[in-house]
Amino acid sequence: MIPFDFEYYRPESLTEAVQTYETLISQSKTVLYYSGGTEFLTFSRVNQLYADAIIDLKGIPECNVLELQEDQLVIGSAVSLNNITESNLYPLLGQTVKKIADHTSRNKISIGGNLHSRLIYREAVLPLLVADATVKLTGNDGETVHPLKDLFNQELKINPGQFIVQINISKDYTTLPFVSLKKTKISKVGYPVVSIAALVKERQIRAALSGVCPYPFRSSEIESVLNNSSLTKEEKIEKAGTLLPSPIIEDIQASRDYREFVFKNTLLETLEALEAAQA
Amino acid sequence: MMENPWFSVGKPEHRIDAVAKAAGAVRYTADYSVPGILHAKLATSTQAHAKIKSIDVTESWKVPGVRAIITGKIFPFHIGPILADRPPLAFEKVRYYGEPLAIVVADHEYQAKRAADLIKVEYEPLQVVNSVREAFKTDAPLIHENSGQYMKIISNVYPVQGTNIGSHIKIRKGDFIKAWENCEYKVKETYSFNLSDHAAIEPRCVRVEINPTGKVVVHSTTQSPFTIKKVLNQFFNIDVGNIIVHVPMIGGAFGGKGTVQLEPLAYLASKAVGGKMVKLEYDREEDLITAPGHIGLEATIALGTNKSGKLMAGQYTYLIDSGAYTDQAAGITRAAAIDCTGPYNIANVWCDSYCMYTNHPYATSFRGYAHPELTFAVERTMDQLAKIIHMDPVELRTINAIKPGNSSPTRTTLNASNIGDVSKCIERAKELINWNEGARKETAEGMIRAKGISTFWKTSTTATNAQSGAILKFEPDGSVNLSCAAIEIGQGTKTILAQMVAERLKMDINKVHVTMEVNTQTDPHQWRTVASSTTFLAGRAVMNAADDAIAQLKRTASIALQCSMEDLEIGGGRVYLKPSPEYGVKIEDIALGYKFPNGHAVEGQVVGHGRYIQRHLTPMDKDTGFGKPGPWWSVGTQAIEVEWNPKDCTYKILKALTVLDGGKIINPMTAVQQMRGGMYLGLSFASHEGFQFGTDGTVLNPQLRTYQLMRFGDQPADYIVDFIETPAADGPYGARGIGEYGVIGMAGALANALSRAAQIELNHLPLLPEQIWNVRKEFKNDSV
Repeated sequence: MIPFDFEYYRPESLTEAVQTYETLISQSKTVLYYSGGTEFLTFSRVNQLYADAIIDLKGIPECNVLELQEDQLVIGSAVSLNNITESNLYPLLGQTVKKIADHTSRNKISIGGNLHSRLIYREAVLPLLVADATVKLTGNDGETVHPLKDLFNQELKINPGQFIVQINISKDYTTLPFVSLKKTKISKVGYPVVSIAALVKERQIRAALSGVCPYPFRSSEIESVLNNSSLTKEEKIEKAGTLLPSPIIEDIQASRDYREFVFKNTLLETLEALEAAQA
Repeated sequence: MMENPWFSVGKPEHRIDAVAKAAGAVRYTADYSVPGILHAKLATSTQAHAKIKSIDVTESWKVPGVRAIITGKIFPFHIGPILADRPPLAFEKVRYYGEPLAIVVADHEYQAKRAADLIKVEYEPLQVVNSVREAFKTDAPLIHENSGQYMKIISNVYPVQGTNIGSHIKIRKGDFIKAWENCEYKVKETYSFNLSDHAAIEPRCVRVEINPTGKVVVHSTTQSPFTIKKVLNQFFNIDVGNIIVHVPMIGGAFGGKGTVQLEPLAYLASKAVGGKMVKLEYDREEDLITAPGHIGLEATIALGTNKSGKLMAGQYTYLIDSGAYTDQAAGITRAAAIDCTGPYNIANVWCDSYCMYTNHPYATSFRGYAHPELTFAVERTMDQLAKIIHMDPVELRTINAIKPGNSSPTRTTLNASNIGDVSKCIERAKELINWNEGARKETAEGMIRAKGISTFWKTSTTATNAQSGAILKFEPDGSVNLSCAAIEIGQGTKTILAQMVAERLKMDINKVHVTMEVNTQTDPHQWRTVASSTTFLAGRAVMNAADDAIAQLKRTASIALQCSMEDLEIGGGRVYLKPSPEYGVKIEDIALGYKFPNGHAVEGQVVGHGRYIQRHLTPMDKDTGFGKPGPWWSVGTQAIEVEWNPKDCTYKILKALTVLDGGKIINPMTAVQQMRGGMYLGLSFASHEGFQFGTDGTVLNPQLRTYQLMRFGDQPADYIVDFIETPAADGPYGARGIGEYGVIGMAGALANALSRAAQIELNHLPLLPEQIWNVRKEFKNDSV
């Protein structure tokens, strides 16, 4: 049970959504955009989230696109994780988001919502980072397009009032050899101890990680070590471990030492899986 | 003898609740609402151990719709099922994180919740007791300063004033000290796990009203409606006859709904608003930590054998983490002592079972009631002992299996009827898991496949006067209604009872209508629906009621047919003459009495009633444990096969196996399902579950977001179930209890399989890959 009243809006166009937001803000209200609503429900019922008003983006046609448009794969921010997996348009993304939460939740969780998650994992970003995705935003300044890497630094940094309309990926990336691995404390369903999405483009590995550090990341330093052919696999892994952007986390999912062990194992598994593609 | 075409016992009848459940048509307690109902929400403690300096409700009263706010001052007394040590609302101090502190009653649930969130509590923190080991230390901070003063509700509970011992149960059988000195092989090991939860799919919920005539009407998710009456009478001074408890079907309980927590709270809440109906429905988080959960344990076991591996002496120290209050953990402490050895014949037994107070959420019964817990420790010890003796672990169990003629730790003499066949269970399990093919091997892919085995027993420690009753009321169409206060918690009890009625009356089971809901005003008394005792207790009552009905039917028929009752037989919806079966009368023509052609009528409705009460049970002697606390033991052997990955310590459960001797199996289909469900629960407990505590005693995983459970897809690929049916002479149709048994051996079997796979000793639950990795690391460090 959510212990507070809130207003609910369901705009049918991008402009209506932005206008609704502006109007509510001018009334000094706390406003949230949302789509699947899983985090809004679960966090607000335990008083970890509050809003006077919520704006549901599911009614906006642009946010529900999921198709190839010429050489681009276009994914609307309100598309559910299960729809992405079932479409099989970008298998690395489909496989990665299939490991988030459970099937019933994935019917609701949208890709836009996962990118904005209040949890530290945001695993949907991993396949997008390695594919140089771009993001179309809208807000009171109109629509703008940005490389995802410019917006994503530990978390998605966009202005208040802006929201993601679509994510674009060049079609070339969707057919590259890839690996998606997720290791949890124990169950298939759970937060990652380590999650990795990697692909090989022009014999170069690109990899992004979640669960290891307090945020998801893609690191060019780590990639260059993984692609350094003068190093053995073991040396690559050892070295990659020293190049993490922050110390390995320790929490109720796993201790730091165990996470490091799993990180190294998973990296080895990744290298082995992509070996053929790199040759 | 004529063949009975109407047999039902032993037949895989469909569950009579299946259609309504599959259609989503069952209404559970929380599904009901009525106009004018008020909603209660709790404010709970954010500290594990602290003095309450003040509770400020000023802001809460400002929330619209608030009707009442009550705190512990309203009822500063202690309640409890075994030892009355728990105030329903904390007063003076809090003893666990999540403990109820205040109740807000409001028009709507969200208003009550918001107001409860606004209650400000000022605490003075006290030193936290964060484990049973800390609790046991002589200088440990006291959680209950005056435990010696608490009222004892049953006789076998022994709190030790000035300590954190809520109860201490002893077994002294034979001469352990002398026997231990003479043992050839010895092993002594320690095992542990934290408290965990039942996590039934349906969170607990209750509605209470006090109507203007003074009747207290309770609707509850409970396994113990008559205990609710007892508690409200005992501690709130309401006449038992003025308390009516209604129970619809329950969405899973696993022991967690056997105790009484919400009902007194909702009663106090209703009283505060002039007796209006108040609904108190727990959120999942409250259901996890505010409501009582599953015990934690630290166990130390020492076993000694002679040269040939025959067990000579066993010493058992159980430190049971009961959390802040003893509740049913005091009974579990006793049950752990009663069956401390597992199903092995040991002449010299020394057991100290302690119920320890800690600043953890408190514990109550959990399916198995001490047995999954003690069996984990005993069966791990058996495997480690086998290693020391260089004996096959199955062989070690076989030569020590308890048999008729032996005696239990409380010195009950065992015979062919009160204990099943342990050896046969071991033998069958060994065969079904292909033990002889090898218990550990490496696959071509570098994985390790390993097996683990676990033998177990359990007697049910009911009240010595535990009883059940049943009423069979006939309809004019010849069908029959069965009323019995056994609660349907998903275990299929209503189906089993219907089968017994159909079998006894030799009628079609579709003509037996079982009342699914329980109403304490109209149903006969039933102790509780716990302790795997319902098939036995309610089954005997039902058979007794059927015999009564048969006598009435024969009497009416003898008048109609102008013959003696002795000449009559019943079957197929008729009462007929034994020598001339074609000559008889339909039950529908005598169900409401017999009417002669001239209009005269005799007898009247057939209403059979029956009852059964436990026979010859006794409490235990305080100093030695001597006594007969349970009627029989069901026994079994379970096994697990895992595939373990030595690279990353992860594993898959390939097979889970149960061979149970539960006497005659009334319904093979529901019995198999019971075993599967039990294995799932046991494996989830063994591999995934457990509360994680901060250094301040707070629960770090109080949500299903972080509290790990086995999920769909994590279950064993293959479940194997088989039954050995050694009949119990006094069980209904030879049945013993089976409800809890699928759980009992799982933790032991899984830990044995993984220990064998990783070639280390895994003595702590849950068996997370990280734990295996840690133990392996320490083991390697030790051996370098």
